[in-house]
Amino acid sequence: MAEEYDVEFIERGDRSARFLVRGVTPAFANGIRRAMIADVPTLSVDSVRVIENSSVMFDEQIAHRLGMVPLTTPEGEFEEGDVVTLSIDVKGPSTAYSGDLVSGDSVVEPADDNIPIIDLKDDQRLELEAEAVLDSGKSHAKHQGGVAVGYRHLQYVDVVGDAAEFEEQEPNILRGVIEERAAEHAEGNAVNGDLVPTEEFDNDLTNRYPGKEVEVNDVSNAFVFDVETDGSLTVEELVSRAVGSLEDRATELREAVQL
Amino acid sequence: MMVPVRCFTCGNVVGEHWEEFKARAREGDEDPEAVLDDLGVERHCCRRMIVSHKDLVDIVSPYQ
Ligand SMILES: [Zn+2]
Repeated sequence: MAEEYDVEFIERGDRSARFLVRGVTPAFANGIRRAMIADVPTLSVDSVRVIENSSVMFDEQIAHRLGMVPLTTPEGEFEEGDVVTLSIDVKGPSTAYSGDLVSGDSVVEPADDNIPIIDLKDDQRLELEAEAVLDSGKSHAKHQGGVAVGYRHLQYVDVVGDAAEFEEQEPNILRGVIEERAAEHAEGNAVNGDLVPTEEFDNDLTNRYPGKEVEVNDVSNAFVFDVETDGSLTVEELVSRAVGSLEDRATELREAVQL
Repeated sequence: MMVPVRCFTCGNVVGEHWEEFKARAREGDEDPEAVLDDLGVERHCCRRMIVSHKDLVDIVSPYQ
């Protein structure tokens, strides 16, 4: 893609963010969303060698729980198919946590340390070796770095008239982010061009434009993304790797169809 | 038996919040709604994972 597009963060955290992208088509926006869900690879436990499991759960159940634990996946260190070995050895009475996993590679570790794996009673023990592999969400949801990834149009509100007098106004619920274009009718100190998350006025337009008749419209080619990750990578890494994977495939296609 | 690691619906990791929720809202007397808000478990799909959970390890372990 030759033309520039504009990215503006509305909320920004390590594991959850909301940002506005301008100048992209709906198809491209959806391409980014899908790449974040299915194409960005992360490490996850895929096979286990059980040495001792005298807990109340079957080996397969323990293996499944370990698979769901997000593992940090630094960029560029691994290729699809690479294996990292982790081990765990916990004796009861105590609970085995994801933080008890000892990784063979210092850059790969559980993203959260306090996920309970299994509660061990007296004389019970869990000892195993687990192999984490790099794969994408396409093959198994445990490799999916993005959680609840979505987008919606940026919207703007037109004030088209006054609400009927002497009548109780019905709530006018809207979710997402609006671009202020009717600041003179809005409550508080609004400025045209402000990006306002609808939570700021309790998702009810009658709180922001009291006594007004309003119409909501989409801002074309502007999308507000909501992105969360499971902790295996940051939002920023997830988005840039998703865009990178789209670019790689576009380049591959261009080369493949070239004369 | 053990609290699920992730939410069945959205895939968010919820297991890590169980023990604090249990201590504060089940064994303690805090309002479960306020505890979930405080823990940052926002979506109702994730909240039901925790609200509807019951630890069963203590119940089944005598029958091993
Ligand atoms: Zn959920």
